[in-house]
Parts: sequence; C-alpha cells; structure tokens
Amino acid sequence: MREHVAVVDLGYGDAGKGTVVDALCGNQRVRAVLRFNGGAQAAHNVVADGRHHTFSQFGAGTLRGVPTHLTRFMVVDPLALSAEAAALGNPYHLLTVDGDALLATPWHRAANRRKERSNRHGSCGMGIGETMAYALTHADAPRVADVLSPARLRRRLERVQEAYGFTDAPVDDVVEAFVAFGRAVRIVHESHTMRLLAEGPCVFEGAQGVLLDEWRGWHPHTTWSTTTFDNVAELCPSFRRLGVVRTYTTRHGAGPFVTENPLLDLPETHNGHGEWQGAFRTGHFDAVAHRYAVEVAGGVDELAVTHLDAPVRETGLKICTSYRVDGEIHDRIVPGPHRDLAHQERLTAWLDRARPAELHRPADWATEIGGLLGAPVTLESYGPRAIDKRFVPAGVHRPAGIRLPTYCLV
Amino acid sequence: MGSGRWSTDVYTAAENFRAATGRSAFAYSDGGARTAHPDLDPKGVFMRESRDSDEHPVSTPIVVMFDVTGSMGNVPRVLQTKLPQLLGLLTRKGYATDPQIMFGAIGDATCDRVPLQVGQFESDNRMDEHLSRIVLEGGGGGQKRESYELAMYFLARHVVADSLVQRQRKGYLFLIGDELPYRKVKPKEVKQVIGDDLAEAIPVESIVAELQRKFEVFFILPTAAGYGGDREVLDTWRGLLGQNVLELDDLDAVCETIALTVGLGEDNVDLDEGLDDLAAYGSAAAGSVAGALAPLADRSPQIRRL
Repeated sequence: MREHVAVVDLGYGDAGKGTVVDALCGNQRVRAVLRFNGGAQAAHNVVADGRHHTFSQFGAGTLRGVPTHLTRFMVVDPLALSAEAAALGNPYHLLTVDGDALLATPWHRAANRRKERSNRHGSCGMGIGETMAYALTHADAPRVADVLSPARLRRRLERVQEAYGFTDAPVDDVVEAFVAFGRAVRIVHESHTMRLLAEGPCVFEGAQGVLLDEWRGWHPHTTWSTTTFDNVAELCPSFRRLGVVRTYTTRHGAGPFVTENPLLDLPETHNGHGEWQGAFRTGHFDAVAHRYAVEVAGGVDELAVTHLDAPVRETGLKICTSYRVDGEIHDRIVPGPHRDLAHQERLTAWLDRARPAELHRPADWATEIGGLLGAPVTLESYGPRAIDKRFVPAGVHRPAGIRLPTYCLV
Repeated sequence: MGSGRWSTDVYTAAENFRAATGRSAFAYSDGGARTAHPDLDPKGVFMRESRDSDEHPVSTPIVVMFDVTGSMGNVPRVLQTKLPQLLGLLTRKGYATDPQIMFGAIGDATCDRVPLQVGQFESDNRMDEHLSRIVLEGGGGGQKRESYELAMYFLARHVVADSLVQRQRKGYLFLIGDELPYRKVKPKEVKQVIGDDLAEAIPVESIVAELQRKFEVFFILPTAAGYGGDREVLDTWRGLLGQNVLELDDLDAVCETIALTVGLGEDNVDLDEGLDDLAAYGSAAAGSVAGALAPLADRSPQIRRL
C-alpha cells in the first residue's frame, strides 16, 4: 500500500470500519491512522491477539502500534479519552491531537442528554452535536490548544457553562482535568497532518456512516458530522476511497430503515441496546440506500464487505434492490441539492412510506454487492480478527470508474 | 459507531491523566541534576522578557523567586506544588490583567553548584514546566546568608517588561526565603553565574533601589522555615523593603498571599473583599493571608504607580 486510503462506512455505521483499519494496518506498514470526523461516540471494535478493544478516539491501528492523529475535524472529549487510554495501557506516545479541534465538555454532554430525554433523536449522548452547534454560534468555543493556556481555557469553559446553565461540574475541576489532558497528549499544529502524509501511507478512519451524514442522511435522524470523504479531501490531495458495507444492514437508534426485519437471527457480539441510542436494529442488505451512499460520497474506488459469514448462518438473509413507495417501484434514491435539509426531510418522509419491493439471495455475496455498488471488492471479512480477512487481488472483480453523482452533472 | 463506552467523569479523567503522565513534580531535580536546567540558567542571558501580545495586551509581570537551600527545609517542595495554582487565582477574580509569571530559585554563590535559576515569563502552564525543572539545592552555607543580592542584580539588569516600557507600570517581585542577603553584589560571582563584567561591587542597598524602579519588591518569610521569625532577618529585610516584608505562618497560603498582594497593588480588590473571595472559594488560607498582609492593610493601594 503506497497510497493513502480513506475508510468510510456506506451505511448507518457499525459496518466494521475498525476491523478493516486494523487489517490494513496489519497488512502494510502504515505511518498513522487519521481520524477526520465525529468524536468520542465512535465505537470501532477490534479483536487482535485475543484482545478486544472498542476504539473511540484512538485509531483502530493502536493495538499494532500505529500512531493516531486526531485532525482538526474531530470533536475531542478528554474525559472519555482518559478512560479509553487507561483501558489500552495509556499509549499516549502514539497520539497527537490538532490544536484546532473542538473540545467536548461535560456541559455539552449534559445538554445533549437533556435534549435526548425530551425528544429521542438516536444520538449517543456524548455531546458531539451539541459541541458542533455551540461552536457555530460561539467564536470562542473551547479548542484543544486552549488547554495549554489555563487562563483562556477557564474563560472559554465559563462561557460554555453559562450558556447551558448546568452547575454540576465546577469549572475549576474541568480546567484541572483538561490541563492534565494537555500534559498527557501531544498537541500539534495543523501542519502535522501534512508531515504524516508526506512520511508514509496513512489510513483515514471515518466514524459513523454516509447514511447518517449531516447533509446527506435522513434528516433529522443524522449525526452532526460529515461522514463522506469531504473532510479527507480537505486534508489530503490524493487518496483511495474504500467503502465498507456489511452483508446485512444495521441501524442504531431512530430513523428510516426500509429493509428492517427483526425476525432475522443475527446476534451481535459488540453492539447492543445503547442507553442513549436505543435499540440495535437489523435488516436485509439495502442495495438501494447503499447505492445512494456511494453516489453522494462522490463514488468509491473499492469496497470492503464484512460479515460474509452471516448469510451462511442466517439463510433467510437477502438483498433488497428496489423499494415500493406509494404503489410505485423505485430502484434509486435521487440525491437532492447539497445542503438542502428540507429536501432531506422530505426524503425521510418518503422513506418512511417505502417497503422492500424486490428481494433476492445471491450465490456469491461479495461479487453481487460489488456489482450492485459499482466497485471492486478488495477486502472480504468473515469475522472480527485480522486473520478472518481476505485481501482480494485487484482486478478479480469488475473494475469500475468513479461515477460522478448526478447533481455534479447538472 | 456506538454509545460512548468510554464515558467518564471529570475527576476520574484527571486522575487517569495524572497517573499516566506520572512525573514527579520535581522530576528534574529528583533525577539527580546538579546543574541548572538550560531553560533556567541565567548564564549569558541578555533579557528575560515580559511582552504584550494580541492575546495578552496589558501584561502584568510577576516574578516569584524562592530560596532552595537547606535552611528552607521542605519549603521549596511545598512551593513547587502550590505555585502552579497562582495563575488561576490571579485570573479567576481579575486580580491582575494578563498576568505573566516567572519562577526562579536562589541558592548560595559562595558554595552552591546552582546559585541562581530563572525561568521565563509565561502566561500558561509552561511555567509549571519551569517549576518542575528547578534544582532543589538543599545545601547552603550555614552562615545565615544566601545570594539574594545576586538574584536581585539579575532581575534589575536583565528583565525587560512592556508594562514598564509602554505603560510606566512596575511589575511585582516576591522573594520567598528565610535568610539575609550578602552585603554586596560581587563582580566575581556575577561573572561566574551570569557572565557580566562588573567593574566594582554593588552594595545591596543600591541594587534594591535599582530593582525597585522596575518592581514592587516583597519578601515573604515563611515561619515554617529555618530562620522563620528570626529578628535579625526580619529587621534587615524591613530595613531594605520597609513594610513589604510579609510573615507567613502557613505555606499552603502562599499563592493566596501573592495573588491578593497583587490584587491590592493593582487596586482591583481591597483586603476585606479579597479575604471574602478566599473564603467563598473555600480556601482555608484566609487567616494566614490576613496575618501576612496586615502590614499592607492600611496603606494606600496605589503602590505600583511610578
């Protein structure tokens, strides 16, 4: 692997980006794993050498000694980071953090949970969205570099506390914890990203999935995060786009899920009912929604298909290639103009009326999914460990050019 | 994605970070260092600068120098753990505008290997790093004198502050110790420790007068220290600095004492308000601070104007 690779989930998250990143890091020498969206709500499960870890802010290559860099697009939660680091044996020497990244505070978290209690949205209760929303309206939103200037940090944290009116966490104690965070991690300038990219191949590890994208997902059941390749493109001029999908579709929490089928017997080892997200839902592979994801992501160069062992165990599992909506058959979700949330909201209502129309069970799942999504499958995964992965030599499957999304052609 | 599995509270997080970094607060000294850390070595230093910046446009320079010789016993270690809070105390209640703090340490040039250490003016936690790099000498000559005059010489001649240049406002200097200065600044020691060529010795009274053009100078005598409460020490410093000699019976109150002294000097608070602030903040130091600051209580607050 000499090129940089960006790993993005084409569904609603949970497709297995963590194991894919881990496998890429084990297969090749990788300079660093770069996180480019979301924050502490990510949960990427990796099993390596008998060790299971749910990666959240550390990159999924950590167990292999690959450094993690949190880019300026991340929302950094020092409190959650300390717990995750402790579970990993405090590998702070492997971590760098961009000083421009936003800081999530206990008050953002509390505000998120208060909203979630009154109006369930399906978020993770970690305050990521709240942190992003606050930053949009407050130029002095706390950022990582502030922990190096306790006086400024205090001022900015006081503003956050005042804005939300929670008094349970004293500012002094948060300042102390955040300053301690600043001593443990290496805070770097934005140019550090360039240096890593120049020094060797890097893996960009995405969080959540394209169908949850803040602009492209089923509004309002989305995340406050750009989950497509857009952020990566801002950090890196050239990279290969690797889309990750499962052989079946899952969704954590509320929102449209056309192919949902609770009768499918697909036990989940690492995902369960989330306190803030709600139930973990499963259903047939939704080729219609995934094709939409590929389209709005601007295309993918290759695919990783995970959970290929599942169709063998659940013989009722199928692939859905078209919807029936208001008596009509549709095999494509037409992307609207970018950043048009009213359109996305109409799409959500439309999807709520949609039911699977055509379902079939393929003989070769990987090939079938590659064909439906228009990109070669270069990585097949049959289990959580790296040895359960099979790298497929390029060229075995039909290579596909990058399809421009239709809205780009207008 | 998932559900914030690594969620934790602020106290556990702080403890985790501290355990992970796990450095002794005195890492440099405890590592066996017997020479000044390069960042704190005064040799060949042209100027230590306290400058205004976009972020800190109205800087207030504050210097804290403490005696690290044996007679001070455990005092330097307590100071090293307490002083990092100083910036927070100063800014929380607005006692000082844009404080820039420099830490340093005083030894004995007649017999110590590290007679003088001076950090940089900092307005963030880099000052903690300087503190952690101070070598705790623990020696001293046993003649009831340390090289305070050498430190005062350095601060008089090798500090430039925008507060003075731009606004004709002095900085603050706190000397914390328990002994007497030598009677003269000696050219040989200046050459050896700082590198300046000095034609003749400078009487301590002259260097104090020169220093007071730049700083409001205070001497804090912790009564827990070796010569705490010593009449000769008190009288000598009172002769040099007048009422700016503060006796402190509880070292834990050192930050509060310094912060409130600056607040009084800046006319940002009066003593009663300041003591109320401390009580409101839950500080147990109010009594000690009130005792230490008694000499300053009834005088006009405009002590800093030139």
